[in-house]
Amino acid sequence: MNRIYIAGIDEIPQHSTLEDNDELKVTIICPPGYNGVVNFGIDILRPGVSLDLAGLYICTRGERQRFNIAVRHLCPGASSRQLFKGVLDRGGNAVFDGLIHVAHGAGQTKAFQENHSLLLDETSSSETHPQLEIYADDVECSHGATIGSLSEEERFYMCSRGIPSEEARHMQILSFLSPVLSRIPEDERLSLMRRFRIL
Amino acid sequence: MDEQELLKDIAGREYSEGFVTRIDQEFIPKGLTEKTVRLISEKKGEPQWLLDFRLDAFRKWQKMEAPMWGHLDRLPEIDFQDIIYYAAPVQDADRPTEIDPELEKTFEKLGIPVREREVLAGVKSKREVAVDAVFDSVSVSTTFRKALSEKGIIFCSFGEAVQRHPDLVRKYLATVVPSGDNFYAALNSAVFSDGSFCYIPKGVKCPMDLSSYFRINAAGTGQFERTLIVADEGSSLSYMEGCTAPMRDANQLHAAVVEIIVEKGADVRYSTVQNWYPGDAQGRGGILNLVTKRGLCKEGAHLSWTQVETGSAITWKYPSTILQGDDSSSEFYSVALTNNYQQADTGTKMIHIGRNTRSRIVSKGISAGHSDNSYRGMVRMMPGAAGARNYSQCDSLLLGSNCGAHTFPYIKNQNPTAQVEHEATTSRISEDQLYYCAQRGISAEEAAGLIVGGYAREVLSRLPMEFAVEARKLLSVNLEGAIG
Repeated sequence: MNRIYIAGIDEIPQHSTLEDNDELKVTIICPPGYNGVVNFGIDILRPGVSLDLAGLYICTRGERQRFNIAVRHLCPGASSRQLFKGVLDRGGNAVFDGLIHVAHGAGQTKAFQENHSLLLDETSSSETHPQLEIYADDVECSHGATIGSLSEEERFYMCSRGIPSEEARHMQILSFLSPVLSRIPEDERLSLMRRFRIL
Repeated sequence: MDEQELLKDIAGREYSEGFVTRIDQEFIPKGLTEKTVRLISEKKGEPQWLLDFRLDAFRKWQKMEAPMWGHLDRLPEIDFQDIIYYAAPVQDADRPTEIDPELEKTFEKLGIPVREREVLAGVKSKREVAVDAVFDSVSVSTTFRKALSEKGIIFCSFGEAVQRHPDLVRKYLATVVPSGDNFYAALNSAVFSDGSFCYIPKGVKCPMDLSSYFRINAAGTGQFERTLIVADEGSSLSYMEGCTAPMRDANQLHAAVVEIIVEKGADVRYSTVQNWYPGDAQGRGGILNLVTKRGLCKEGAHLSWTQVETGSAITWKYPSTILQGDDSSSEFYSVALTNNYQQADTGTKMIHIGRNTRSRIVSKGISAGHSDNSYRGMVRMMPGAAGARNYSQCDSLLLGSNCGAHTFPYIKNQNPTAQVEHEATTSRISEDQLYYCAQRGISAEEAAGLIVGGYAREVLSRLPMEFAVEARKLLSVNLEGAIG
């Protein structure tokens, strides 16, 4: 199963369970122009299933976006992976609140979470609360989070080879987002990319 | 011997500092009202400004509510009217300046030298450490004061500092932790009894490690000490803090405040080995350790926190640094071990205000038994923190399937040139590691001690030597019965 939700257009399930599918792939997109909260919670109930969750947010012109993500492992032997990437610009503010919960008895769980944000100017800001709550010992869990800005070195490399600064910047942003963007079917991706020109 | 007694006996063996010193003590009645605050102030012969400070804090505290956001579901509701706020050993009229031999014995038993040992001619035995020993509500002895005062260093009990250096105390008190900062800090500001005061003058490198040792002895009391450390421009200091308490079935409250001011270019290293009584194997009794520790770094200053947390039924502690000056830096290294029914919610806060400020966080949590161990930390990049950078790493180790390990980081960045990175992992002792040790004749328990020691090495290696040895011992003692 591969599901794509666009905040503000599609209805995102606040509480769901993962039991029937062996593999569930979910991608959540928060496009520029969206101002609000995305709630996504999922309970993993059957051993052997895997969840692949990713999200992308572009937050600009004073917008506020918030992600409340909860992945709960209630059975042993399942795995989950989360990847959230976002770009903030012109007074945009994003908060990522993501929880991995491994219940008592949910051994052999594998759960990973990553959140990365890029700040493009002085007026934007970002907050992240990656959380682990673990009540079983035989597990492999980790999370990572970064907040930073575009690398000057990379831009210099491109500019010195004749790529205009604006275009180089655009390419940097696209490559930062590409791990999530590549999950979207091509035709849909192109229409979304057109919207990114706003940046 | 019935089962209860037997269990008590075993628990007793595990916590060797759990004895009580029989000594005449002076108490004030239970309960907390404005009268109590006035009484404590009067007992200590304090000036009016300090009484006003206490009363102001008390009024703030009355309007505040106890924070409940910690991942500490075993934190009981504390009846603040059922606590004795002041207990002091009665001083012998014959020997008003001498330390009571009973007290001296107590500290000797704990391995704390409260008397400057004579050094044999030409033989320097151990590295010298100046100690301020605090017994319940009062400081009973401070060593090496003469040697220190030659360099202009002031190291004495807080009460004495108020009498002899009121200008310094007044200038710096509550500048880092304001009296209304949080519920427990406000309580401490109102009823704090004693603690240590330390001032290192400009450009002086402190010739020896300074240390405070806190001991709770009396039943039904709370300990509220206040430590104020000021390192003036270009000075440097290494400070250590240790603590123990007797075993009792009832919880005892410990609400301390530590303030550190690190002036321009100064360097302070603050190490703690916290070994308060953790309660018995059934989770009865133990110290509720609810403390506020914070440092302020001016331009180019450096503050390093190292903590080993093995004791206390409840630990609620977040040593923090405000990186106010440009190019200042701070480190936080922590090992927190919880066993049986202990719960710890501990971590740090790094507030980056100045440009090019740097911070590094390394936290190692170990949970065993039915305990819960949480890391809670905040890294904040303020809009002016251009070029600032933070790196955090939090690892958790679970021993057994009934414990919990949690990570709750809060990261906020308001400057595009600031960089924040956070990583966390959770693991356990693998079968392979145990098997490897078993093959070589090392028992499971010993092996666990070795593996945990290796896991915590990065932090332990930051401690001053004597402390590192003690910390390693503590870790293995507290792990007894956790594996196998």
